[in-house]
Amino acid sequence: MQILKKRVFVTGYGIVSAIGNNVEENLNSLRAGKTGIKKANHFQSKYVDEFSFGEVNLSNQELIDEIQFEDSSDLTRTDLFAIKAFQEALKYSGLELNEIANAETALLSASTVGGMCLTDQMYNDANLVIDRPSPYLAAYWNAAHTILLAKQYGIKGFTDTINTACSSSANTIMMGSRLIKAGRANRAIVGGTDSLAKFTVNGFNSLQILSSKACQPFDRDRSGITLGEGAAYLVLESEDVIGDRPLLAEVSGYGNSNDAFHPSSLSEDAIGVCAAMNKALQSAKISPDQIDYINAHGTATPNNDQVELTGIQKLFNRIPAYNSTKSYTGHTLAAAGSIEAIYSILSLKHQELYPSLQCKIPIEPFNQFPIKEFKKDQKLKYAMSNSFGFAGNCTSLILSKVS
Amino acid sequence: MYIKKVVCISPQDTIKDNFPQTGIIEFDALQCPAIEPDYAGLIPRGLLRRMGKAIRMGVGAGLPLLTGNKDIEGIIIGTANGGLEDCIKFLNQIVKYNEGTLTPTNFVQSTPNSLGGTLALMGQNSGYNVTHVNKGLSFESALMDAQMLIEAGDAKTLLVGCIEEISTYNTNIYTMDGFLKKEALLSSELLNSETKGTINGEGATMFVVDQNGENALARIIDTGQITHPNHEDLLECLNALLRRNQLEMSDLDAVLLGYNGDQSTDHWYKQLSHSFDEGTGLYSYKNLVGDFPTVSGFALFLVLKLIELGEIPKEMILKGSNRSLGKVLIYNHHRGVQHGFILVESLA
Repeated sequence: MQILKKRVFVTGYGIVSAIGNNVEENLNSLRAGKTGIKKANHFQSKYVDEFSFGEVNLSNQELIDEIQFEDSSDLTRTDLFAIKAFQEALKYSGLELNEIANAETALLSASTVGGMCLTDQMYNDANLVIDRPSPYLAAYWNAAHTILLAKQYGIKGFTDTINTACSSSANTIMMGSRLIKAGRANRAIVGGTDSLAKFTVNGFNSLQILSSKACQPFDRDRSGITLGEGAAYLVLESEDVIGDRPLLAEVSGYGNSNDAFHPSSLSEDAIGVCAAMNKALQSAKISPDQIDYINAHGTATPNNDQVELTGIQKLFNRIPAYNSTKSYTGHTLAAAGSIEAIYSILSLKHQELYPSLQCKIPIEPFNQFPIKEFKKDQKLKYAMSNSFGFAGNCTSLILSKVS
Repeated sequence: MYIKKVVCISPQDTIKDNFPQTGIIEFDALQCPAIEPDYAGLIPRGLLRRMGKAIRMGVGAGLPLLTGNKDIEGIIIGTANGGLEDCIKFLNQIVKYNEGTLTPTNFVQSTPNSLGGTLALMGQNSGYNVTHVNKGLSFESALMDAQMLIEAGDAKTLLVGCIEEISTYNTNIYTMDGFLKKEALLSSELLNSETKGTINGEGATMFVVDQNGENALARIIDTGQITHPNHEDLLECLNALLRRNQLEMSDLDAVLLGYNGDQSTDHWYKQLSHSFDEGTGLYSYKNLVGDFPTVSGFALFLVLKLIELGEIPKEMILKGSNRSLGKVLIYNHHRGVQHGFILVESLA
């Protein structure tokens, strides 16, 4: 096929996270520097007393009431987040139903937990513990929520579900943009969803990388991840089909690489991290000094934050203003890339920077604090959003303000 | 996009170069387990012992291609489930030990991107790396990803492939949700079965794809896909795929159809067959390996073999044709929900 290289713009967004049930509430929390990390209220696990979580402040029943689906009997919490954030993104974009239910509209989503948030039901079904199957047999797949959304909204274009662990939804933004650039779709709705699950909490705990207190990204004494949950979706559109509708940002670049070092940690010299950021800069055709702000991956593990700063230091003459918004939401896994892309867009749209929380002493030898306080009236053109995952999967996105 | 090389581990003896001249293996069971190669020399013994089957097969098929071609710039994997066995083993630990002190090996291998990461690590490839987990369209999504990279000039050579494994757990779940039959039958009888469900399969197929057609096995013209269509939507999806590649139905010399013996969903294949040209040959493939979400990767391997061989095993023939395999369409659907097309062209 002929390569068209269309420009790709963000025209809608929707989000549900520990700091708000929509974009507006998330924005207010970021401006106020108010974290969503606390003792979990809905999630059930023996670790609820031991660890804090970035839990969404809605019960499943409250979510069911909000989405107003005809049949919600077999929906998982992962599905419910996805539907809620998806609905907000569509509403914001103002797209008509026939523009969504269209062969030119693609849907790309991400989940690492999928229906495995139902740890006990899945255990029973997989091991034939009870005679009668649970109502969730179709819900366990990573792709379950994608197929559900495609059905509900009659999406007839390309669909995809990506799982590259913690960089999953950053990759849906990249892949959706490439589909539009190549002329294989006019629109792509992209993002990710994950709910807290015994599966991931026990998994990260078995690796001994959960923090016993709220995570402290980029602090010298950080002690690990705080897990969170949520979903975020963005409506991406080709310059050809937008008309005069408002633009939130442009997707200017993306880079993807594998660190090829270790199944669950990053190489000290930041091979994958540097390669992803470098490719993103190349694809945006800009130089490092044009990046005004980095929304860092910043998981607060000793390994990630050290390596990420090493990579940034290598690539940038001076380290740009940066933060880790995981200090608000916890690590939302497959949703993190799209949630943090939206936070980056909020910074660009409102020309302001949000404080990174919980960093008291910066990391040696960089000695550069992340953004300390809320700053208005900035001049921000390009924002970079980093996402790095298990198995070495590194992705970096560049979003820009539309003038 | 051209295919330069392929390695396939499947329930047939596809690890032998002269497959299918080795003959088609028949199964008398509810599942078709893969014939695995000897991994000695490829995977260190200690590592092999800890590897789940999906990862092991994926490394077995992918690593020789990766180490044999230093020009490979990235790794793209399609898998609905990845290492499901490891996943449920970890789940079982959580329940059995009541969230106690657990070992992380199963957790790390349970994530579907584990194979992509393992290949990158063992092959020291720090290029593009994405894992598509779009259930019955995982492999089609991976192919589209690769094709877009190559067409945009972002990569010249890539490793693309798919894996799926049979485990007790997916067998249990697939049996309860009606995907699998309740009684075993001969694989030769599968397509004539009058019951619901199919038989379970597994395997790993890995391809080296390239921008350059020199010494290539075939060309991937394009892929198409649609979710939750009606028959009209499906036909339009295929027509759109043909149109954007300046082709017509009559250009198709052969179609591989994913009949899996499930009487509740095989009507999709039958219905679409009415749209093909009189002279187009129709062939089956799931009676060779059973069904699984990334079985279209095996179908693509078969097309390459048939093009190379110039003849088609009788077990596959639904409707014979005297046309040589020039342009071939693979049509597969998963549970009647996700439908994928892969258009392939012989270079002979």
